[in-house]
Amino acid sequence: MTKILFADKLDSCVERWRSAGMTVIGPVQRTNSSMYDAVKSASELDLNLVLADRSIKELFFPQSEPMLRYNITKSEINTSEFLPPSGPRIIFGARACDASGLAIDDPLFGWDYKDEYWFQRRNESVIVTIACTKADEFCMCTSLKLAPDSTKGSDILLRPLENNKGWQVEELTDRGREAFKKVADLLQEGSDPAAATVSVPEKFDADACAEWLKNPENFNSHFWKEISLRCIGCGSCTYLCPTCHCFDIQDEGGSFEGIRRKNWDSCSFALFTMHTSGHNPRSTQSARWRQRIMHKFNYFPGKFSANSCSGCGRCTRECPVDMGITETLQEISKLSQ
Amino acid sequence: MSIEQLYRTRAKELLSSGEVKMVIGYGAGSNKERRRPLFITSAEECDKLVLDSACISNLSGYLLTEGLLSDEKRVAVFLRPEGVRALNVLAAEAQLDTAQIVIIGFDSPKGELKALEGSSVEEFTALITALKEITPETAGEEQLAKIEKMSPEERFLFWQEEFSKCIKCYACRQACPMCYCRRCIVDSNQPQWVNTSSHTLGNFEWNIVRAFHLSGRCVECGNCDRACPVNIPLRLINRKMAEEVLNSFNHFAGTSKTQEPVLASFKKDDSETFIL
Ligand code: SF4
Ligand code: SF4
Ligand code: SF4
Ligand code: SF4
Repeated sequence: MTKILFADKLDSCVERWRSAGMTVIGPVQRTNSSMYDAVKSASELDLNLVLADRSIKELFFPQSEPMLRYNITKSEINTSEFLPPSGPRIIFGARACDASGLAIDDPLFGWDYKDEYWFQRRNESVIVTIACTKADEFCMCTSLKLAPDSTKGSDILLRPLENNKGWQVEELTDRGREAFKKVADLLQEGSDPAAATVSVPEKFDADACAEWLKNPENFNSHFWKEISLRCIGCGSCTYLCPTCHCFDIQDEGGSFEGIRRKNWDSCSFALFTMHTSGHNPRSTQSARWRQRIMHKFNYFPGKFSANSCSGCGRCTRECPVDMGITETLQEISKLSQ
Repeated sequence: MSIEQLYRTRAKELLSSGEVKMVIGYGAGSNKERRRPLFITSAEECDKLVLDSACISNLSGYLLTEGLLSDEKRVAVFLRPEGVRALNVLAAEAQLDTAQIVIIGFDSPKGELKALEGSSVEEFTALITALKEITPETAGEEQLAKIEKMSPEERFLFWQEEFSKCIKCYACRQACPMCYCRRCIVDSNQPQWVNTSSHTLGNFEWNIVRAFHLSGRCVECGNCDRACPVNIPLRLINRKMAEEVLNSFNHFAGTSKTQEPVLASFKKDDSETFIL
């Protein structure tokens, strides 16, 4: 016997969590594109999506975050901080790649400086992941040693029932248990079998790629130019990626009054490493694409012992010129044979 | 011989005779529906070229890749009529010399592939002028008609909802052949003319700046619309602006390489005292 959440009880759960003061968030369909967003009832959730177009990271690291307000007068400089918005949240219907992405970024945001904005939200969010029973051709979690039912980064794992009527509940963390205690009476014990998770074929050998990337000779390989000639530097791949985490600090307003903000940035942009002198150490798009791959599969694992990629496939799915991590790593796999 | 075969042969000839140093075309993509830009520099690779109705992206923007045309050698490029129009606009704005470009023209009205005669922009003038005549009727964007019927308030709400999704990636700009500035005004921060953040104001600012700056320049290739990762219907804005410019100034972007840019021309007898 396992604990089961039947789908027809989900609305009551949402209500219960909301009346306990939690913001309930999940995958929703907006006009022509899907994302994780707050909902008032379970009917707003779209749990049939393979994966939301936009990643879960924006719930923790929004595209634009005000940090402080400044005001400079002749006699003084005043600043007032924006504290990270607080309040308990439950994210219902995350995918394993998205939840893993958050766990991948935790050590980064806590490394030399603890990013309060990230951790305040991390500490107040319960992540309820639903194991995938379908995937598309771009999904590649298994190539990154993850799986459609990975528990990394999740507080609860739900396994869809074979009869489609609900989910088996696996409580993974105290935070998850705490949230599900609130709906304990809405859960049932049952023996309904769980559906098999989708099988996602492995597309490349990540270890072999890492070895190739570590070889300093390959840094100047012709490969980089050839593979990225068509990249237009649009940044979609980084903005949609659950693990890409670069940001820029911008002062908006005037010299004497304004708001300092933390906005997403991308290594795909020509301005990313542009110096004030005009010199740009990554002056070509191929150097930028190399950076993206090197960072994710060489530098990041060197520092934090994990690839900075959870295999969600968004970078390939949404690239306007049909590039992406998949093709590049497949080619590197071939080169490293 | 299929058009694809015909054009592969043509590409081979162009490369092996040394007439061009590169052919920019389409190759197979990661699945059956996708095509990807392909850059070919030797005759042997020409069999990788793919041409069918799924080849929709406008490749003209690649011609402005830094350094590509600076050696004065020629480059061949696969273009739909919109792409040829784009070449004219770029030439009119002194961004390239059309003598360096060999056009491999094609179109696929109603999904059926057809080859277009000619290899220099001048040879397409009649075709482009004909497009000008039929464009307003055939565009038939149902959504645009709906938006036209809305009250100003409803229309504002519609765009507010759409723009609220904008994540300020500027993929629309990067994908556009007309957005060639090395330093876009939105990237300037001393002074910062346009808010960089993706809040309501910043998103409106960006999308309005984009719409205005492309008025009379946009050739409606749809690259921006397809690139937008959150699927904001940017084509509707472009279409509307193109209609306005056509109706007010009888200007159809990209009809010739000497066309006067509508945003950069001023006439003393203009009925308006301000821009546009
Ligand atoms: S790889 Fe694709 S999505 Fe990423 S910056 Fe280049 S063109 Fe854009
Ligand atoms: S690099 Fe691509 S596949 Fe990996 S997490 Fe980012 S968007 Fe997903
Ligand atoms: S604005 Fe869009 S449709 Fe117009 S030329 Fe640029 S990419 Fe093409
Ligand atoms: S591509 Fe779309 S999301 Fe990106 S800046 Fe343009 S309108 Fe905004």
